[in-house]
Amino acid sequence: METEVKEAQGKIISAENPDITAPADWQPVIMGILCNWCSYAGSDLTGTSRIQYPPNIRIIRVPCSSRVDPWFIIKSLQTTADGVLISGCHPGDCHYISGNYYARRRFLVTKKLLNFVGYHENRIQFSWVSAAEGPKFAKVVAKVTEDIKKLGPLHRYKKENF
Amino acid sequence: MDYSKQIQEIASKLFAENKIDYFVGYKQNSFDDSQVPFLITDPAEIPKLVFTDRSVFNLANYLKPDHTKRKRVGLVVKGCDSRALNLMLTESQVKRENVYIIGICCEGVLNEKGEKAQNCVECVMPDPVVYDEMIGTPTGKREYKVNVDIRELATKALEERADYFESIFENCIRCNACRHSCPLCYCAKCCLDQETSTLYHGANTSSGAMHALMTWSLHLAGRCVDCRNCEKACPSHLPLHLLHKQNESVIYENFQQHLAGMEKDDRGAFYKYSLSDPDDFIL
Amino acid sequence: MNVFIVETDKTGLQKFYKEIIGKFETYAPVEKFGKYDYKKVSKLDECDPDSPIEMTMSVKPLFFPKTAKVMKFREDNTGTTVSETDEDPLTGQRVILGVKHCDARGLQVLDQVYKWDYIDTDYQKRRENTLIISTRCDKAGTQCFCTSLDYDVENSDAHDIRIVNGLDGKIYIQAVTQKGEGFVKENLSQQSAVGSQQSLEEIKKHYQLFEASFRLKMNYSEVNAKLQKLFDSLEFETVSSNCISCNTCAFICPTCHCFKITDEKIKDTGVRYKSYDSCNNGYFTLMAGGHNPRPVKYRRWRQRALHKFVYYKERFGMNLCVGCGHCAISCPVNISIFDVVNQVAKI
Ligand code: SF4
Ligand code: SF4
Ligand code: SF4
Ligand code: SF4
Ligand code: SF4
Repeated sequence: METEVKEAQGKIISAENPDITAPADWQPVIMGILCNWCSYAGSDLTGTSRIQYPPNIRIIRVPCSSRVDPWFIIKSLQTTADGVLISGCHPGDCHYISGNYYARRRFLVTKKLLNFVGYHENRIQFSWVSAAEGPKFAKVVAKVTEDIKKLGPLHRYKKENF
Repeated sequence: MDYSKQIQEIASKLFAENKIDYFVGYKQNSFDDSQVPFLITDPAEIPKLVFTDRSVFNLANYLKPDHTKRKRVGLVVKGCDSRALNLMLTESQVKRENVYIIGICCEGVLNEKGEKAQNCVECVMPDPVVYDEMIGTPTGKREYKVNVDIRELATKALEERADYFESIFENCIRCNACRHSCPLCYCAKCCLDQETSTLYHGANTSSGAMHALMTWSLHLAGRCVDCRNCEKACPSHLPLHLLHKQNESVIYENFQQHLAGMEKDDRGAFYKYSLSDPDDFIL
Repeated sequence: MNVFIVETDKTGLQKFYKEIIGKFETYAPVEKFGKYDYKKVSKLDECDPDSPIEMTMSVKPLFFPKTAKVMKFREDNTGTTVSETDEDPLTGQRVILGVKHCDARGLQVLDQVYKWDYIDTDYQKRRENTLIISTRCDKAGTQCFCTSLDYDVENSDAHDIRIVNGLDGKIYIQAVTQKGEGFVKENLSQQSAVGSQQSLEEIKKHYQLFEASFRLKMNYSEVNAKLQKLFDSLEFETVSSNCISCNTCAFICPTCHCFKITDEKIKDTGVRYKSYDSCNNGYFTLMAGGHNPRPVKYRRWRQRALHKFVYYKERFGMNLCVGCGHCAISCPVNISIFDVVNQVAKI
């Protein structure tokens, strides 16, 4: 189901609708849903360690990555976001012992289903970031932003035009 | 496959022994050879009960309190229906002592065109997995096959798939028949009911339908038993199985070949985990 | 009753349709996922004006859409500003082809409630700007009972033009209203064969055959009279026992007109929507504070049956059910309002 990312001179073409384009300096909006105990603390550490990361991400804090109902992702993609990043504790480190193991199953199925109905798979990304991994958080956000920038603006299923 | 006689006998026995308050079976429609669910409280109605290869509904849906008010129910189930019932039992939606289950070893039911229904062709478990009384000869578990429509769609390009699904969501009228006909959609207050989600997606827009159907299918992922009651109920004839079968195939492939409701006390795929679940898609 | 009739044949009719589609914004039954629905068309081969009676949706959504924007609003630190929506300029003539007689009658029934009390201008404009071309069914469907109700199907003026496939192989295009007559004169180029008394006879003959093909027949006045006193009938519980309280029957019904209002907001701007609702929905009468006068489904079905066959007739003099049978076809468990009222009235 891999879809190639299309590029044109000086323009970014939306991966889902080839007729939607954006200027080369277009900046995506990324919804970040982070668990309170690891990833959110990790992102805090990134800030306090003065590591730079792209400002495209808008962060929401949830108690645990398994708190993320699939419709948070769908709602984000339907309203403002061009992509979603969900991050939780590393397997084995969950504050609630096993929340992230449950979440991991759901993430896989959600990602595959969203891809099936027509979202590029890179629009929905997941990561494990612990409270001590400030630099990793910055790297993850940079990678996700880079990926989504290539995909161009999200137009499919957007609330205002569907 | 005509088990009308046996079912009528069992129903009269149950009423005579005062074991049940309701009996849920099928009744012939007067205008053609299709059938509808039939709820009886009066033994005089028993002769109207039938069961043939047109008995398509999942009657476990009628165990919801709206319909049988948590009373004692005698129920006819096919293989897929019994899997749904198994989950309802595990999820404490009905008490085991309150249902008398007549399990049918199913030979497959027919669709509207009179052919064997697609889910019956691909059925993994035609025999009842939970029952008090079994009718027919069990044929055993079959091999899991990935749905043909899913395989076909998966070969198409992203844009093409998206266009197809857009047309599905556009044709949804958000009547919620799909949700109400699913035995596993029993929440008293559903997060998709327009009354409880007015601030986000209360209107009958296409994007509202997309949001509702996607969320709905993900809430049923790992629990859906492929009875297709939802699809039969949909007035717009939308191919809702695509969403469910897609989830099912991902779950089967990645999570120890999990299929919903096959064993007693087995909860849906999302209620358990394994340390070896795939992790490679996570950064 | 207007008797302006044009006789033509299959090709003549096709030509007439093609001309209409070329000139006006045209809607016609289109097949999608195996069921028919009135959709906008730009070519005749996209649609089927002679579609089978089993339609997914009635013609209602073209006048009262499944969802419509009522207004837009914007919140900022100065307060809330409200503005008109950009929806439907509602100008220009629309034509709908292949409307069933029952569907067209449904609009007449809907008119009553839309011009009573509050005048819904959007609806009125859509009505005024639309010309309805109806095709008379050759044979009744399994769930149809339009001829048993309180209106005259043969002489109905709910449509502007009707098309009858005569038994003699000719096709009759009959203008029923003034508007229809003007339209035919203007848009039908070969008017050579203007029909006469003879054609009227043929149309009548066709009707007799059509009327004889009905499976369902009821004694309307008796049902109506009996139901008026049957509010407390326990029979409602039996007839609704296998209803799953979905909203299908109301959404696809040509005359159900209940709607709900919801606001949706992204950031600081939002839209107020009006979308279908149904009295079979458990939340329909739920009040702030938690009281629900119709908590169980038989009370909701009682509302449905009595609104259709008693209350509306009392208030507006028309039966709210037009006998199209859409509900029985689309209902997951095939509950037909025909059976319900007859069973409750014990006829
Ligand atoms: S039953 Fe069909 S039309 Fe109704 S809400 Fe479900 S998918 Fe939409
Ligand atoms: S979602 Fe549909 S197919 Fe799955 S269990 Fe529910 S009714 Fe059956
Ligand atoms: S109640 Fe049923 S038969 Fe009557 S008008 Fe509505 S859809 Fe048609
Ligand atoms: S029958 Fe119900 S949904 Fe239809 S108009 Fe009456 S109250 Fe409204
Ligand atoms: S469509 Fe049928 S099952 Fe659904 S609410 Fe109406 S009568 Fe009940």
